[in-house]
Amino acid sequence: MSDARILDRGYRRYEGRRSGVTGAVRSVAWHTARSILGIGRSGRHKVFPIIVLVIAFLPALGFLALTILIGDLLQGELRPDYWEMFGFSFFPTLLFTALVTPEAIVRDRSNGMFPIYLSTPLTRPTYLVAKVIAVLGTMAIIVLGPPLLALIGYTFQNLGPDGLANWVWVLVRLLGAGLVIAGLYTSVSMAAASLTRRRAFASVAVILLLLGLSIATNLLVETADANTNLLLLDPLGLPLGMAPRVFGETGDEYTGVSTLAMASACAGWITGGAVVVAARYRKLAAV
Amino acid sequence: MTTGARSPRDDGVVHVIEASGLTMQFGSQRALDAVDLQVHSGITGLVGANGAGKTTFMSIALGLRPATAGTIRVLGLDPRTQGHELRAHLGYGPERNQFPDDMRASDYVKHLAEVRGLPRDEARGRASDALWLVGLGEERFRPLGTMSTGQRQRVKLAQAVAAAPSLVLLDEPTDGLDPVQREEMLALIRQISREYGIDVLLSSHLLEEVERICDQVIALDAGRLVANGRLVDLIGADEGVVVELVEVPDRPRAAEAVAARLRARGLHVRDDVGSRLEVIGPDAGLVADAVRDAIADEGARLGRVVRRRRRLEDLFAGASR
Repeated sequence: MSDARILDRGYRRYEGRRSGVTGAVRSVAWHTARSILGIGRSGRHKVFPIIVLVIAFLPALGFLALTILIGDLLQGELRPDYWEMFGFSFFPTLLFTALVTPEAIVRDRSNGMFPIYLSTPLTRPTYLVAKVIAVLGTMAIIVLGPPLLALIGYTFQNLGPDGLANWVWVLVRLLGAGLVIAGLYTSVSMAAASLTRRRAFASVAVILLLLGLSIATNLLVETADANTNLLLLDPLGLPLGMAPRVFGETGDEYTGVSTLAMASACAGWITGGAVVVAARYRKLAAV
Repeated sequence: MTTGARSPRDDGVVHVIEASGLTMQFGSQRALDAVDLQVHSGITGLVGANGAGKTTFMSIALGLRPATAGTIRVLGLDPRTQGHELRAHLGYGPERNQFPDDMRASDYVKHLAEVRGLPRDEARGRASDALWLVGLGEERFRPLGTMSTGQRQRVKLAQAVAAAPSLVLLDEPTDGLDPVQREEMLALIRQISREYGIDVLLSSHLLEEVERICDQVIALDAGRLVANGRLVDLIGADEGVVVELVEVPDRPRAAEAVAARLRARGLHVRDDVGSRLEVIGPDAGLVADAVRDAIADEGARLGRVVRRRRRLEDLFAGASR
């Protein structure tokens, strides 16, 4: 006679440990990051993140391939600095910021998840922390992924920084510059997305804010000879202009603008975005 | 890790909900007016018309907004200061029928169980169990956007109970359901409370529904507490009759006069439908005798008499007079 049995598990009480606020934040952040990248969703939701990732990594992979294949012939001529890699992922980062990031918070308000989340151990602030972690984390893949890939690739080709200390120092500066870029874009996109229930409106708002201000300030500086400090109001170019400063170089566009002013402006943009999001969510009805 | 919320079923001392002087003021509008109440284990109906204060009460109980004045404890915890700890032991089914349409039911329930603190494997197993419990076992891998209103209401119930809460707050859980689906939903709620030991606070504007499954009632009207207690104590075993008088030209105000005589004898009378009176008293025979005497004394003409039990709506009718 067989030992097989049919077990009716039924509904059981759970008396074990609960992970509390930390677990709730982790779970929402992980779920949101997967959702942004289209993981666990239908095919059409995966298309755009894949396109963005391909565009972001293609230049770094191209330079790496050239270095591996004909590196001896080029003798480092075509090899960009690490911080220049951030510029190559500028377009995919903009696409991601405008079209993918708003999904992280707009969706919860239109599909009823926000009030349900607030009926769990999450509060409005911890909910937003989870969302920031998810957006920042996924954006960091696009912003930091290519330069980190280049660093690792060059290192394996014996073209990386000399010695462990230098290597770690480059890594730290890469992470710092990448986090400033990802942090500023995250803050701006979340602020725009917090103001509307429609993802399309949020995307348009992000594009207008980033591109509109960037075009306006650059036109004023270049054609009307306005003070170069006006470029601090350009949220699109500012964090990319910070990248060479982190590596001890000046870059081209922000000549005449002090590093302290640029760092303060970056902090101002990030704080401003956070204040808008916090103010908006403080008023948002949950039940 | 969260601990500290006590299930009243495990501890006879703690009330599920206990409020004292609970007041909520929105500008010049008082949404809750010095509400004192106690809720024991079982199914409790939170009833009242739109704007009565039900949603405000629920949001305070969930710890989503602090009361202007007064105190409230839910499962022995203060929602204002111990909200996250409390909510780990609560389930909540919102009124709005909105879902992430492209998400599968099993993923949705599992994710929310995880957010409420369950380990991933436990959440996966319990999500499946909860969906089988509400009758969606075979449908659990379907995207929520492809489900009917009835199935979505069941998914809401499943996500509310999947993390093994001590108390579930359900906001209009039968909204949009046809009579058969409504019956099934009420049976499920009854099962969850009776068989699985989960206390339920059920917000509804359908008094008949609340009467059928609730052990206790919180009745609110314009922010004031109309009644709170066990249903059997509130509507009791009182019985009565519905009397329809025939209007005759020589006795133009007979119904009013009969109603006045019956009230004078201490009976509860509703006379809001022309010459139709609902008369409630402690005993059907006593009520029938009183009705007979009043009709005879006023010279009214009797059309029809139907026996009737006292109902929850009588509480509101009494309070509004």
